[in-house]
Amino acid sequence: MKVLALIYADQGRWESLSEDERNEVYERYRAFGDNVGDKIVDGAELAPTRAATTVRIREGQTAVTDGPFAETKEQLGGFYLLECASLDEAVELAAQIPGASRGAVELRAASEEAAA
Amino acid sequence: MKYLLLLNNDAREVAEWQQLTPAKAQERRAKQIPRWNELFAWLAERGIDVDGLELDDPANARVVRVRDGETLVSDGPFAETKEIVGGYFLADCEDLDQAIELAQRVPVAERGSVEIRPLARH
Repeated sequence: MKVLALIYADQGRWESLSEDERNEVYERYRAFGDNVGDKIVDGAELAPTRAATTVRIREGQTAVTDGPFAETKEQLGGFYLLECASLDEAVELAAQIPGASRGAVELRAASEEAAA
Repeated sequence: MKYLLLLNNDAREVAEWQQLTPAKAQERRAKQIPRWNELFAWLAERGIDVDGLELDDPANARVVRVRDGETLVSDGPFAETKEIVGGYFLADCEDLDQAIELAQRVPVAERGSVEIRPLARH
């Protein structure tokens, strides 16, 4: 099954890190990638939420606003698409994602209808 | 330029879906398919390379945190919000304007929203 892992972290803290500190975090992500191997189908780091744009259509009118749709304490900073045998395996993998140790990783399985 | 488009459903609509019998849900889904096919045709016509996924019921979500070496797992989506991510597209668009054009064509934008997040560049 495919499981989307959404990585939420404190963006302010991330931006306050020095380049060396960030490189250390990237190093941990690389180690996670090497360790998990081809269970990672896809994944990316997102640009900060200030680069976000939200689009809504109401009564035929398009409204385009800057920023993410929700203001949360932790922000979506990246994701992985994982190929797992079960949601339990996804939990095991998610616990190894560096972002889980300060922020949170939300796991969302692919819809079965989508897989059919 | 790659963008992650988060397809956020209105939470009330998600609650409605959760009340439907599988047969009713299937029927509603079938009704929406032509709209989505129109979107896919538009993407193909523009040559926009796109991946995406529809996600399972947010009630089945898990949130994983590790604190002091211990794994904490809770149920449900990460944040209680008026809109809940129900799927995504990862699209290679020319620029933000094209990503907005794409977002406008996603049926979800009519009741929920489509949040466009550019990928980080190093």
